[in-house]
Amino acid sequence: MLKVENLTIAYGKTEVVHHVSFDVKKGSVVTIAGANGAGKSTILNTIVGLHRPKEGSILYKGEDIARKAPDKLVYKGIRLVPEGRQIFPEHTVEENILLGAYVEKDAKKIRDRMDEMYDRFPRLKERRKQIGGTLSGGEQQMLAIARALMTGPDLLILDEPSLGLAPIIVKDVFKLLTEIKQTGVTIMLVEQMVDNALSISDYAYVLETGNIVFSGTKDEVKNSDDIVKAYLGNV
Amino acid sequence: MQQLIFGLANGSIYALMALSIGMVSSTTGIVNFAYASVVMMGAMVSWWLMVIYQFSYIPALFVAIAVSIVLNIVIYETCVKKLGNLLDNVGWIITLFGASIILDNIARMLFGTEPQAFPYLFGGKMVTFFGANIMLHELMMITIAVVIGVAYQTIIKKTRFGRAVRAVAFRPATSELMGIKSEKIILSCFAMAGAVAAIGGVLIAPITFASYTMTYSIGLKGFAAAVLGGFGNTKGAFIGGFLLGLIEAFISIFVPAGIKDSISFVIMIIVIIFLPGGIMSAKIFNRNWSAAEKV
Ligand SMILES: Nc1ncnc2c1ncn2[C@@H]1O[C@H](COP(=O)(O)OP(=O)(O)OP(=O)(O)O)[C@@H](O)[C@H]1O
Ligand SMILES: [Mg+2]
Repeated sequence: MLKVENLTIAYGKTEVVHHVSFDVKKGSVVTIAGANGAGKSTILNTIVGLHRPKEGSILYKGEDIARKAPDKLVYKGIRLVPEGRQIFPEHTVEENILLGAYVEKDAKKIRDRMDEMYDRFPRLKERRKQIGGTLSGGEQQMLAIARALMTGPDLLILDEPSLGLAPIIVKDVFKLLTEIKQTGVTIMLVEQMVDNALSISDYAYVLETGNIVFSGTKDEVKNSDDIVKAYLGNV
Repeated sequence: MQQLIFGLANGSIYALMALSIGMVSSTTGIVNFAYASVVMMGAMVSWWLMVIYQFSYIPALFVAIAVSIVLNIVIYETCVKKLGNLLDNVGWIITLFGASIILDNIARMLFGTEPQAFPYLFGGKMVTFFGANIMLHELMMITIAVVIGVAYQTIIKKTRFGRAVRAVAFRPATSELMGIKSEKIILSCFAMAGAVAAIGGVLIAPITFASYTMTYSIGLKGFAAAVLGGFGNTKGAFIGGFLLGLIEAFISIFVPAGIKDSISFVIMIIVIIFLPGGIMSAKIFNRNWSAAEKV
């Protein structure tokens, strides 16, 4: 589905991601673990076209999408749920969801997907006329995910979906991601602490200061003492 | 009554000009210092078409609108877009002032320095309105401004385009993630602002006469109205514009004409000191102030 090869990313002259390669197989869930400043968001933003890489290629369904504009990638089925959720706080919940379907021209499809989202997220339905900024952090995360699902993506990318959420809400988020996975969506996510993410992941990578220092299956991660100490709280 | 209508008519143009400023600043956070030159260009171009080429009022207006849209797009492409991220540079202050000076001088060369008489809509026909003699043109000024204001608010609130405009205003990068081309949206806002500026210029020119000095005589009123209504607040722009027009009209009954124009700036300074967010930021308008965003 997604194959990143030799990706190098810089802000101006400062290189923050160095020759990174990884693979996300169709239908799988892949987690990238990394501490603050490791370059996780930088990689994700580059995949979705918000930032241009210095070197390397990003193959999506066999096509190099590095340097493509974000709206082109939305059409191709890639959606990012950004770090900190970034909902539109002065738009209503419903408008936020509609913005998620901005590129969709078919009014019926939009209605159907919206109904689907309201079925899945009854809380959002209750609050659809409320402005986004009044939602709780957990509800905002749900809104951000619903917004991304409005175009029926093939690859859903999430930047720290558990950030700032209570453990019980985090559980909900990951339960939701499992359900989304079951509908055939490929999922890639990044986290600082991977306890929850790992439980739903097929494969994991560890990123340290812009380099991938470890990769392996869920079990291989759990068998590596260093990784467990650094990125797992309590397993 | 006459004073009231006159105040509202002038105010409607201040409102349009403040709206033109607001359309740009609400989406980009920048102040288009060149907008007043676009207002002036709209007036001059239509004067030129009417006097030299015998255009009638309405076709001349439409050509002026087209010219101003193009001007504003050129201003965006050359003075704003080239600068890159507007958050970390203030180069636009210089480039936009520069554009304004260039446009004013072009106008002076093309159209001369003499203020030119400008025809009224309907040939200056008068009507009786609540017992007062009112020029039909003034009623049209008010009507057109209100129609534009309502249309703009409706578009912004109710349409897909309007949702995108508000989204880009708030989070341009996240908007891109929705598939919105933020740059196209900003460009459309500049284009709309150009059209509104031209309409304002053409409608007020019969009252002020058309001249390249309109940039300052009229343009600054637009800024005062925008400040009064709160920068970037397109609804406030309307309230600010009409309020300024009315205040001017009534004050001019008591003070000599020479210092009338300074009134708008006294008001502007008072507002900046006491209500830096504009009159719409006053407490009574914000009882339902929403909770801040949770991160
Ligand atoms: N816009 C930017 N301009 C310059 N440097 C940046 C920019 N964004 C990020 N960086 C730098 O790139 C490095 C990686 O940042 P990035 O945001 O990708 O980290 P992260 O792994 O997502 O961290 P966190 O877990 O805190 O979100 C950091 O050193 C950061 O300072
Ligand atoms: Mg990050």
